[in-house]
Amino acid sequence: MATIVEINEQKALEVKNFEFTYAGADAPSIKKLTMPIARHNITALIGPSGCGKTTLLRSFNRMHDLYPGNKYNGEILFKDRNILIPKEDLIKLRIQIGMIFQKPTAFPMSIFDNVAYGMRLQGIKNKTELSGRVEKALKDAAIWNEVKDRLKHDASGLSGGQQQRLCIARAVAVEPEVLLFDEPTSALDPISTAGIEELIVELRERVSIIIVTHNMQQAARVSDYTGFMYLGELVELGRTEELFVTPKERLTEEYITGKFG
Amino acid sequence: MTHTQKRILINNIVMVLSTLSAIIGICFLLWILSVLVANGLDAISATIFMQEGAPPGNINGGLKHALIGQLIIVSYATLFGVPFGILAGTYLSEYGQKSKLAEIIRDISDIMMSAPSIVIGAFVYAIVVAPMGHFSGWAGSIALTIIMIPIILRTTDDMLQLVPSTLREAAFALGAPKYKVIIQVVYRGAKAGILTGILLGVARVAGETAPLLFTSFNNNFLNTNMSEPMASLTVTIYNYATSPYEDWQKLGWAAAFILSMFILTLNILGRLFLLKKKGK
Ligand SMILES: Nc1ncnc2c1ncn2[C@@H]1O[C@H](COP(=O)(O)OP(=O)(O)OP(=O)(O)O)[C@@H](O)[C@H]1O
Ligand SMILES: [Mg+2]
Repeated sequence: MATIVEINEQKALEVKNFEFTYAGADAPSIKKLTMPIARHNITALIGPSGCGKTTLLRSFNRMHDLYPGNKYNGEILFKDRNILIPKEDLIKLRIQIGMIFQKPTAFPMSIFDNVAYGMRLQGIKNKTELSGRVEKALKDAAIWNEVKDRLKHDASGLSGGQQQRLCIARAVAVEPEVLLFDEPTSALDPISTAGIEELIVELRERVSIIIVTHNMQQAARVSDYTGFMYLGELVELGRTEELFVTPKERLTEEYITGKFG
Repeated sequence: MTHTQKRILINNIVMVLSTLSAIIGICFLLWILSVLVANGLDAISATIFMQEGAPPGNINGGLKHALIGQLIIVSYATLFGVPFGILAGTYLSEYGQKSKLAEIIRDISDIMMSAPSIVIGAFVYAIVVAPMGHFSGWAGSIALTIIMIPIILRTTDDMLQLVPSTLREAAFALGAPKYKVIIQVVYRGAKAGILTGILLGVARVAGETAPLLFTSFNNNFLNTNMSEPMASLTVTIYNYATSPYEDWQKLGWAAAFILSMFILTLNILGRLFLLKKKGK
């Protein structure tokens, strides 16, 4: 059984006895996992390669449904509803639970159109509303000053770090309740990484954040809660400052002191 | 001879042989082009574009009928072939993916692409020309459409698959339905490649003669009625170049020159699009 710290705040998500099996795999990649995610906090997921961090993260917005044959079991509660039911409206779900990928995923269109993309999907056509919200999103993502003179330019002209912040702007523009980050800085230089980390911390005011990272310093720097996963299971979820200083589980301690992984 | 010496020797031999082969190939290409350009430029004049076909010996013969006929036949083939090819390619890449059905369609399409075009001409002759009782522009366009579809289908399939799947996922993650992901993100990402495929497909069918011989046949006069036999540059080249009359042969060179320049332009444009895409 995992050691899970008591969370007194409201919960953004609650994972209950969750199991996930990839199409064609014999064994589940996530096994009977139970884990609360605190609202308007940053939860970091750490653990050795292949332990299932990405798999768990992509379950929150049902990304696995894009590929046939994957199987979910158990429950993931979002606003007191199980989002794993087959007739869940995935479009609505993904508007409320956004995702930032490891590599920047700027669309082949202008900077403005990139940020406006999600809003246009929701049918917002009014020009002034669109440009107001695009500006706000770009400011929120701390990239406004760099791009305000070239909103009409193709997004592919931006640097990797700028593209990643553009993707964050695009995701926050639709005002999601949860944002999922899968190693968002692993393809970036240290300065861009620091910028993104700062951004994530600021976003906590308005969104609940789950971030997968291989970098334990990053988890320690940005997160409020940290979950340590191993072989498809949650070993320990604790307040970040406690988990890194006084881990309750031996496995956690061995991992954070670099004994394996 | 040591092992290293032997390796260097073999390396040199292979290099010399392949360089020689390349030079020979290029020589032939330049030879063809220079003969074509010399004869073509010699034969080309403004009247060619103004006049229709004339009996041999008549200095007023032109290619207007063939140019316009060719343009109409190829335009209709493009009009049918491009949307069909793109939709089918989209099915393969975005819906069928690695499924059995998709793989079978890919194989059939590859076989069709390497089928001799004369066979396709004969096929259209059997299913269109014979029942109608006469040759027609429609039959020519249908034959060219059949040749064009597998080319467009395959390039579309390939180019869409080159679009990284994370880009699709990013659009889905914003709540986009699948058709919008395809139209707004995937097509945009593959735009240059698909356009190249279209240009190469048009260039390929524009140079076809055999399937037109059986279908649109020929016409010595300007005809814009697709239900009638229609002239084309390629069939005109075939007829004029093999005729014993010197003025017809000259017109044949002019037609060959015009057609080659058209196809060359399409090919260069197609490659430019791809280069532009890679440069990004
Ligand atoms: N598409 C897939 N099909 C089948 N198995 C998969 C697939 N993707 C991942 N797996 C398996 O599921 C397990 C968990 O993988 P996952 O990608 O979630 O790990 P991770 O913790 O994100 O690792 P990393 O730190 O390397 O990103 C691994 O054993 C992996 O081999
Ligand atoms: Mg991962």
